[in-house]
Amino acid sequence: MQASDLTQHISRRFNKDLEELRNKVLAMGGLVESQLSRAITAVVSGDSELGLEVANDDYKVNAFEVGIDEECSRILATRAPAAGDLRLIVAIIKTITDLERIGDEAEKIGFLASKLAAMDRPADSYRELKTLGIHVQQMLRDAMNAFARLDDAASIRIVHEDESVDDEYEAIQRQCITFMMEDPRSIKRVMNVTWAARSLERIGDHAKNISEYVIYMVQGRDVRHAGLSQQPPEN
Amino acid sequence: MRKVIIGVGLLLATGALVGWSYGNLERGLLVAAALVLLWMLRNLVFLERAIQRDDFTAFRFGEGICQQLFSQFRYERERGDRYKSQRLQLLKEIRRSTRAMPDGAIILDAQLEIITCNRAAKSLAGLKPKKDRGQRVDNIIRDPALTELLRANDPAMTADIESPLQDYAWLNCRLVPYGAGQKLLIIRDVTERMRLNKMRRDFIANASHELRSPLTVICGYLDSFVDEASVPAEMRQPILQMQAQAQRMSGIVQDLLQLSHVEGSGGAGDDELVDVHAVLTAAADTYSSLDSSPEIRLEVESSARIIGVTREIESVVANLVSNAVRHTPKTGRIRLSWRVTDAGAELGVSDNGEGIAEQHIPRLTERFFRVDRGRSRADGGIGLGLAIVKHILQRHDARLEIKSAPGQGSEFRCCFPAERVSAAS
Repeated sequence: MQASDLTQHISRRFNKDLEELRNKVLAMGGLVESQLSRAITAVVSGDSELGLEVANDDYKVNAFEVGIDEECSRILATRAPAAGDLRLIVAIIKTITDLERIGDEAEKIGFLASKLAAMDRPADSYRELKTLGIHVQQMLRDAMNAFARLDDAASIRIVHEDESVDDEYEAIQRQCITFMMEDPRSIKRVMNVTWAARSLERIGDHAKNISEYVIYMVQGRDVRHAGLSQQPPEN
Repeated sequence: MRKVIIGVGLLLATGALVGWSYGNLERGLLVAAALVLLWMLRNLVFLERAIQRDDFTAFRFGEGICQQLFSQFRYERERGDRYKSQRLQLLKEIRRSTRAMPDGAIILDAQLEIITCNRAAKSLAGLKPKKDRGQRVDNIIRDPALTELLRANDPAMTADIESPLQDYAWLNCRLVPYGAGQKLLIIRDVTERMRLNKMRRDFIANASHELRSPLTVICGYLDSFVDEASVPAEMRQPILQMQAQAQRMSGIVQDLLQLSHVEGSGGAGDDELVDVHAVLTAAADTYSSLDSSPEIRLEVESSARIIGVTREIESVVANLVSNAVRHTPKTGRIRLSWRVTDAGAELGVSDNGEGIAEQHIPRLTERFFRVDRGRSRADGGIGLGLAIVKHILQRHDARLEIKSAPGQGSEFRCCFPAERVSAAS
């Protein structure tokens, strides 16, 4: 399936509806990406104001979700799409749920950033969070790119990428536990760091989900919970 | 041409004559016609072969119709080839120059879908020219700031977005109309500029912060010296001067701190309703009580409020009014106005003082810019007031309009958009 395949209907209006819907989802993706990026910056640079700003801006993401959802129901009801179009709508409905959750996690990270900014900063200024954050950010960006380009090959790579995010999260957790055992006074701060890492790891999972929807949309097969490598591609 | 007709005619006539002399006219004509046909056929075969081999040397000379046809054909063909290779050369050169351009250029159609882009756009924004053809550009570069830029469709506007490929890299985007309904999106790497700007802001913020505490100590001691009876009389004047200068300096530091604060953060909060009437009245009262002040008149036509930060709007009014007071003789008049307009609301400060020359107006809001350096320092200004005003207004989505002419006074209007104005409560 190519991006241009979407615009091949006899009804011009339907083409336009689908195209607009896709544009909206990608705009929502862009907003979520910038929320995540700002949240990570807030944590790393200890900018409490930016952190709160991110937390306050989450309503925009929610508004997108509600709007797109409504549009999807309208198209389902009036156009009764089939085959690729139906898969597109189904994938969009699922994608925006995940995007909205990513928005929530970014909000959480922003809020944690404002709390962390008020506490002592470690010498490495949360380098491990930064690394994980950049990794997850890249994953989300790739997932949205794959969505825009209907690129199933890239999506499969992203699904595998999630494993290394999980590993990084494990490492941060272990490091945090060590810190807490060494110095119980730091528990409050380190707990916040673990929460932020946890949120980032969840964002990685959501990005993985989005990639799986792209595979579903393009190939028409459901790869969730199935282990990509074992399944031969259907023809 | 004529030769060919004559030749064919002669051949036929000879055939007819030979046939007639043998008593069989038809057969003679037939043989002659067959010869003509064979000759034509041979030429056609030659032509076909020549076209296939692209070799016309055999037909360069000669005068028959076929030779002429061949040479005409050959000429047209060579001209076409030359023309084509010239065009290709030109195209190659254009391609090469767009490829060498350090800025990314993306050509969009009227629906903002990508038509093509140069190499820099690939490396800066991660576009894939073949795959992304026909995609809307904001589906690939998804920064909300870019979406906003595309929607505004204003060639004067630019947007800074984070690079989708590199962390901590910034790109500056600009949309230029181009061709028939097409648009050109120009992308420039501004990471270095952003870094310098940030460094400058941080430096000003840190330096003024560090200067504040020593100044507080100096001012404190000077204050107590002024009130101290045991200070010798000849020291009184120097101490008073020191106090005035120290106070001026702490004012400057205060301004710098405020500037770096309003410049560094994004939009102003929207949790307060600013009572503009009260702010203007307070400012008028404060400045009317000064000896050097001209008459200050209030013209408040509306009780609408601004959604924003009271402290900052107060600072805008204070800066504008103190400028007006400084540049208006005691006999002059200052008007403070507040009214609702079609586009929102307008806060105005106008005077009939000395005015500003036209060439200075665009630079007024630059920091540390002063029209007359020597004089304004004596008045106590350092050229930060209007910079602060500009940034505060930007935070409130408002804009500053300045109208002035030397000798006719100046008018400063702050235009707030309708979304920032709350109707009278």
